[in-house]
Amino acid sequence: MILTPEVLAIFILNTIFAFFATIAFVLSVKIFLHWNIKSVSQSQYKLEKQSYLSATIIKYIFAIKVPLFLFFIFTLDKISKVITGAMCGAGVVDATPYGTYLLILKVINLYVFAYWLMLNSVDMKNEEQPYTKLKFGIYIIAFFLLMGELVLEGVMFNSIDIDKMVSCCGTIYSSTASSYISNIFSIDTGMLLFLFYGTYVLIMLFALLKNKYLFSIANLFFIIISIIAIIVFFGTYIYQLPTHHCPFCFLQKDYYYVGYLIYIFLFLGTFYGVIVAFIDAKKEQMQRDTKISLVFNTLLVLLLSAYPLIYYIKNGVWL
Amino acid sequence: MRSKINFYLIEYALNALLREKYKSFFIMSIFTLLTFLLTSVFFITNSIKYELQSTVDTLPQIIVQKIKAGRHYDIDESVVDDVLDIAGVDDAVARVWGYYYFENAGVNFSIVGIDAYEKQYKKSFENIIEDFDFATLEQTPSMVVGRGVKEIMKQSYYDEYFNFIKPDGSLKRVDVAGVFDGQTQLESNDMIVMPKETLKEIFGMDEMQATDIVVKVKNPQEVSTVAAKIKLIYPDTRIITTQDLQISYQNIFDYKSGIFLALFVIAIFTFFIIIYDKASGLSSEEKREIGILKAIGWKIDDILKEKFYEAFILSLFAYLLGVILALLYVYLFQAPILRDIFVGYSQLKTSFELPFIFDLHTLFLVFFLSVPVYVAAIIIPSWKIATLEADEVIR
Repeated sequence: MILTPEVLAIFILNTIFAFFATIAFVLSVKIFLHWNIKSVSQSQYKLEKQSYLSATIIKYIFAIKVPLFLFFIFTLDKISKVITGAMCGAGVVDATPYGTYLLILKVINLYVFAYWLMLNSVDMKNEEQPYTKLKFGIYIIAFFLLMGELVLEGVMFNSIDIDKMVSCCGTIYSSTASSYISNIFSIDTGMLLFLFYGTYVLIMLFALLKNKYLFSIANLFFIIISIIAIIVFFGTYIYQLPTHHCPFCFLQKDYYYVGYLIYIFLFLGTFYGVIVAFIDAKKEQMQRDTKISLVFNTLLVLLLSAYPLIYYIKNGVWL
Repeated sequence: MRSKINFYLIEYALNALLREKYKSFFIMSIFTLLTFLLTSVFFITNSIKYELQSTVDTLPQIIVQKIKAGRHYDIDESVVDDVLDIAGVDDAVARVWGYYYFENAGVNFSIVGIDAYEKQYKKSFENIIEDFDFATLEQTPSMVVGRGVKEIMKQSYYDEYFNFIKPDGSLKRVDVAGVFDGQTQLESNDMIVMPKETLKEIFGMDEMQATDIVVKVKNPQEVSTVAAKIKLIYPDTRIITTQDLQISYQNIFDYKSGIFLALFVIAIFTFFIIIYDKASGLSSEEKREIGILKAIGWKIDDILKEKFYEAFILSLFAYLLGVILALLYVYLFQAPILRDIFVGYSQLKTSFELPFIFDLHTLFLVFFLSVPVYVAAIIIPSWKIATLEADEVIR
């Protein structure tokens, strides 16, 4: 059990989230079942009003969740100083069996909620409100994901044992480790870089071809390949250490918090990229989404590539 | 999410807040008070933690204590020689120290014994040896005392010397040779330094025994290995490393501010309810305002947005004000009253300045504990207001 002020703050906010998310959930179920835009009945009129309330609540939760996610990572880093053996967030995530799932769920929720907001904004702009049923249906699923996350977070912080020794990121993300993470190290670096830059070129190509489905799939693929490439290849150049692969350490002060920048670029670039296939928006909006996606993906690629290049220019060798 | 910030709406929201002067002022003052309290507590703990942490850094890397019957016991000085044989150990010194309870004033002095010719495990002791001639101190039993000790002794009319009561009941007169200042106030205020021989006599200890042994390791990364080796040679010892201390300090202060925060939860939910109530109650003036806005074409979304701007401006302003007030209170006025909670009530309380530590993390923490709570409290009331019917209200 660990109860630092940071964890308590997260718990307090989680309580508020749970309370409001439940209200929005009840309303969403009602709207999802009885929504009929053509009807002029009293109940439909009431539902329209209630849809504003749930939309506001969801907007609120998302608006707080994004900075809170960064705060969560920050908290993990801080807790890592207390836990024996942990040197960065990776140790804390690995300290309990729930950590990894919590992190994955948190990221998925960020994408789902951001998608919901996009859908909502497109929906509100259209007089027919064609997506209302769909968006509240999606929220019903998102609600369970959110509740799962809140419960998992509570369980994780509850089961952290301060006195138990945990692994340091050096052992978790090492090519000699026997965990499932170490499997990614068997990928050939040249192949991986080819995939990374290849996917990026494909994204550019599909944007030119204006094929939104291929563009979206390429972006989806880009999320996974980027994370693997960061762990296997780019991380070592950020640390300038061929054995250090941790995707958490560069969130710390020693590396000028560059990790936050990397992950924010990755999120924005791929989110706007993936989203174009899922929303039938107007043409201008689609072009704008594509443009945003391209800009952030390019920034990510430039930022990541800069590390090995600068290293090579300074030292004349590759790691 | 996509739409740009509407400055007209912000202007409108500001004016709306100013129109409701008393209500806004009321909410703002409570909110400011809450953030102020919370921020102050975190600032104080941060500063004390920093102060302690810098004390820990000057402490020896490893402390070896003998444990007998589950309690701390005097250790043989011969252990030092065995410890010195371990590879990687730079230095090992037997320490003699303890607490002396001075009944008359009801305080504990910490007394440390040092030898002039051995290597000192603390920088501040080296300074003392330089300043005072310890060879003469040994001949006529005398001591060097901290500022706080000096004052307490003076209150009992001990100005030149002090009578220690030995375990067998007899008195031991020790002269006061001078007063010293430590690097950090926290450690030196209640401290007395005297030659080892004198101290052993006062505490009734054997010649060849010491309170504990401190070990210096050349390479800080080898500390845990050396600690394990000592434990292997002497299983009856307790080994404390600086890292253990650091972690337990962190835990103590997280615990203390955690308790405060747990109490604060009650306050913040009360605040939540007050805001909810305040925001729900609409004057006829406000109702008319909403009605007119709707009549001239504002949508539900616009009114909601305006309400959120209002809430955000108000809470952000109160948050900033609270933080600034806390900065002044803690670092300019040294946090009267509140810091006693954390420092304790000992008579010989160490008087120290809270060092200025600016931690961005704390500001984020307080932000998450205040602004989202306020905004959450006005969600439902704002929605109720925004969905009022124009014709009903204006009528």
